[in-house]
Amino acid sequence: MIRLEGVSKSFRTKGGSVAALRNIDLLVEPGEFFVFLGPSGSGKTTLLRCVAGLEKPDSGDIELGARTVFSGKGRLFVPPEERALGMVFQSYAIWPHLTVFGNVALPLTQGRRRLSRTAVRERVLKALSLVGMEEFADRPAPLLSGGQQQRVALARALAVSPEALLMDEPLSNLDARLREEVRSKIKELVQGLKITVLYVTHDQVEAMVLADRIAVMAQGTILQVGSPRELYRSPLDPRVAEFFGSMNWLRGDVVGQGRVWTEVGVLEVDPKCQVSGPVVLGIRPEDIKIGRCSEDAENRFEGELVKGTFIGDQRIFELKIKQRSLWAKTMADAGEPEKKAVVRLPKSKIVVFPGADSVEGPEFMDVKPAVKIIEDALGSQRKP
Amino acid sequence: MLIGLSLVPAGAIVGLLLILVWISFRFEGDGGISYGIHAYNLLYADPFVARTLLNTALFSLVTVATALFFGVPAAWLVERTDLPFKELPFTLMTMGLLIPGFLSAMGWVFLLHPRIGLFNVALGSVAGPSWRLNIATPVGMGFVEGLALAPLAFIMVAATFRSTNPELEEAASVHGMSLLRSLLQVTLPLIFPGILAAGIYILTIGIAAFEVPAVIGLSNRVFTFSTFLYLQVNPPQGLPRYDLAAAFGVLMTAIAGLLSWWYYHVLRQGHRYAVVTGRAYRPKLIELGRGGLLFAWGFLGCYFLLGQVLPLLTLVWSSLLRYFQLPSASAFAQASLSNYKALPWPYLLSGLWNTAILMLVVPTLVLLLSLAIAWVVVRSGAPGRFVLDGIAFLPHAVPNIIFALSAAYASLFLLPAFLPIYGTVFLLLAIYALVRISFGTRVLNSALAQIHRELEEAGQVMGIPLLRRIGRILLPLLRPALVNAWLWMALLTYRELTIASLLVTPSNVTLPMVIWGLWLNGTFSQAAAGATTGLLLMLPLVFVYWFLSRRAALGVWQT
Repeated sequence: MIRLEGVSKSFRTKGGSVAALRNIDLLVEPGEFFVFLGPSGSGKTTLLRCVAGLEKPDSGDIELGARTVFSGKGRLFVPPEERALGMVFQSYAIWPHLTVFGNVALPLTQGRRRLSRTAVRERVLKALSLVGMEEFADRPAPLLSGGQQQRVALARALAVSPEALLMDEPLSNLDARLREEVRSKIKELVQGLKITVLYVTHDQVEAMVLADRIAVMAQGTILQVGSPRELYRSPLDPRVAEFFGSMNWLRGDVVGQGRVWTEVGVLEVDPKCQVSGPVVLGIRPEDIKIGRCSEDAENRFEGELVKGTFIGDQRIFELKIKQRSLWAKTMADAGEPEKKAVVRLPKSKIVVFPGADSVEGPEFMDVKPAVKIIEDALGSQRKP
Repeated sequence: MLIGLSLVPAGAIVGLLLILVWISFRFEGDGGISYGIHAYNLLYADPFVARTLLNTALFSLVTVATALFFGVPAAWLVERTDLPFKELPFTLMTMGLLIPGFLSAMGWVFLLHPRIGLFNVALGSVAGPSWRLNIATPVGMGFVEGLALAPLAFIMVAATFRSTNPELEEAASVHGMSLLRSLLQVTLPLIFPGILAAGIYILTIGIAAFEVPAVIGLSNRVFTFSTFLYLQVNPPQGLPRYDLAAAFGVLMTAIAGLLSWWYYHVLRQGHRYAVVTGRAYRPKLIELGRGGLLFAWGFLGCYFLLGQVLPLLTLVWSSLLRYFQLPSASAFAQASLSNYKALPWPYLLSGLWNTAILMLVVPTLVLLLSLAIAWVVVRSGAPGRFVLDGIAFLPHAVPNIIFALSAAYASLFLLPAFLPIYGTVFLLLAIYALVRISFGTRVLNSALAQIHRELEEAGQVMGIPLLRRIGRILLPLLRPALVNAWLWMALLTYRELTIASLLVTPSNVTLPMVIWGLWLNGTFSQAAAGATTGLLLMLPLVFVYWFLSRRAALGVWQT
């Protein structure tokens, strides 16, 4: 179990103080695979380093298992070497003057809890066999490929039987194909060991594949914590929605229970949304239906297809409803739609965010250029 | 703990400089001790001081000009042309930096002896007997010092060439500029900041230079800054004038400080043209052709002849003769080892013994302290770490003889009651180590910055405590840099004369001081014999350095 309460951290820079973490509360269950997801500068790595003890928060409390390792009020700071953690670094941090065996063994022979020679040997070989590197035990570290270094780093972190395993963008230095392979390997391994994992990434696909739960971070705060499905389907913040793939955004005003007036006309939305006044509606391109739907379905509009782009398994359309451009995505073999088609925006797929006047539409709420949409779509296939 | 360790040398450096300022304001007259700007007034009024300043300026400017004249073209030849056997000039230049300046200076005195010096005889036979070159002038001494520092210019400018994007020069030739034009209009402006930086750096060294003026100028009463200081502390008659020396030292420290500041800014400017990518890019090398090749080797050969071969050979030659004469059949017949037999061997051996101790301990101590400082500066994030780094750099900026002056005064008048180290090898050890801190921290700062901090953090998170992290992770990774720096400093310690000149007494004499002492006594032939002995003892050490530094360079970790 990892518990954070009110953790804040700011860095002094030339321009003054920058808040890297603002009042973070978090509870990670034992055995959970927990991912910090966010763009660069969102504070996710700082948060991980605070758990590791490599950064000292300004305030708050951090508990690892049953032990408090940091307390701002109690002026308690347990240094990293006494926190009993394993960590995989972005650069792997494989010690170049040692062999593979030496790398995994060093924390066991020089660390706080030193083991006997035979125990070390047994532990190291077991850890190396977990990652399939046992036959490379005597190889000098500089002769390893990136993927092999990554596996040694993982073995080294697991060999200390850590309270929790911390991983800081461990896949970002691998090429695309290798990344996919290692990703599934990590998932498999960690599930078998039932170990608590904190994992930092900026790649939403990686996060969704690996995580039991994800914390989406931006500007030093956690926007939302949830399972991948929750975050994708029920984002609580436009930035969360945007982070997990593209969105069409529409501004509107609530004109009745579950009814919103927008540029394209009055839309029915989920009546359970307790909002009034100005709102922002979002719908994902793949949720927009083109053509063929029953007469009595909600939110049907006359649309005009402006442009279609073929990107392999999918097609991306730019379509217009009453001069308002929207993006839609269909399977590539769904057949050629008419130039004028019926377009449906299913109400169960529309997410509603309160959009007070004070919210100057963030730049991402503008209509996206086609290139960006296509990149997003391609990215979700190619990146893994 | 590391912070504590790093504060010791920093405190000592600042302390010595504060003592310098304090001495400069202190006046001990018949009426007791008073404080004031008395010494500064004396300096201001003394025409001898003005002469010395002028000499120093002329001397150091000629030094810079000579060093750049030989160093810059050599760097260009090695970095940008198809000159074969490039390792040769590189190795010779690096070794050239280790040849003690006072040895070549002695050689030059023999070469330019007014009556029988090789050069003057040659000049006399060509231009008539009234033509004589006099080495005992600021210009002459600057020339000798410049020859000794040309390797430094070479190494610094070669580094600039290597870090300057050669595509910028190639673009000029692709777009139809001739070699000469692209050299003058593209290459030169591009590396100008590098040349300027090297020039300022050498100027700083020239201003503080002691060895060459001490060998050539002292006996001819031509003084520059460092020898003036020496004269004030060791006057031929009367009492030492520490206050005058200190006041002059304060003035020169200010000038040296300004030069260092300028150097730092030029260096920052220079990085604008640096290659950003780390890819191994081999620029197209300029083909020299037959004539060019001949000229290139001629140029390099000329330098090595003037800078090293001729003065050192002359030194060896004169050590074999009772009095100096040109090589001839009768001179060869007279050659003997009598000068060597006449050397004061017990004294020389005690100097050798002290020097050996210093060579072993000083580099070790410097690296230990420098590692602590560099770790605090690069890794710790402790407040005030940049101040610490600045203090560690001071021994480079401030002329070394000033630290010796301050230390001499402190150990004679302030410390004896509880730390009687004047006249012991410990005093030499402490001050030798202190002035090398700037070199040690420069080396370790950059070596440490190249070791990814996650390598240390990995050990930390996985439970390895600090001292074991340093011992098991940091030191093995730093080993190539440590070995290289250790050997380099050991060799510099072997030849150290500047600091020793003010701190050595008969009880803690060093080898260079024995040789220089013989020289000052006027027993030139014996001095030459001592110098040759020193040189011969140094050769195997230089070879070891050359061998190990090559291996160390190969072992640099790719992280």
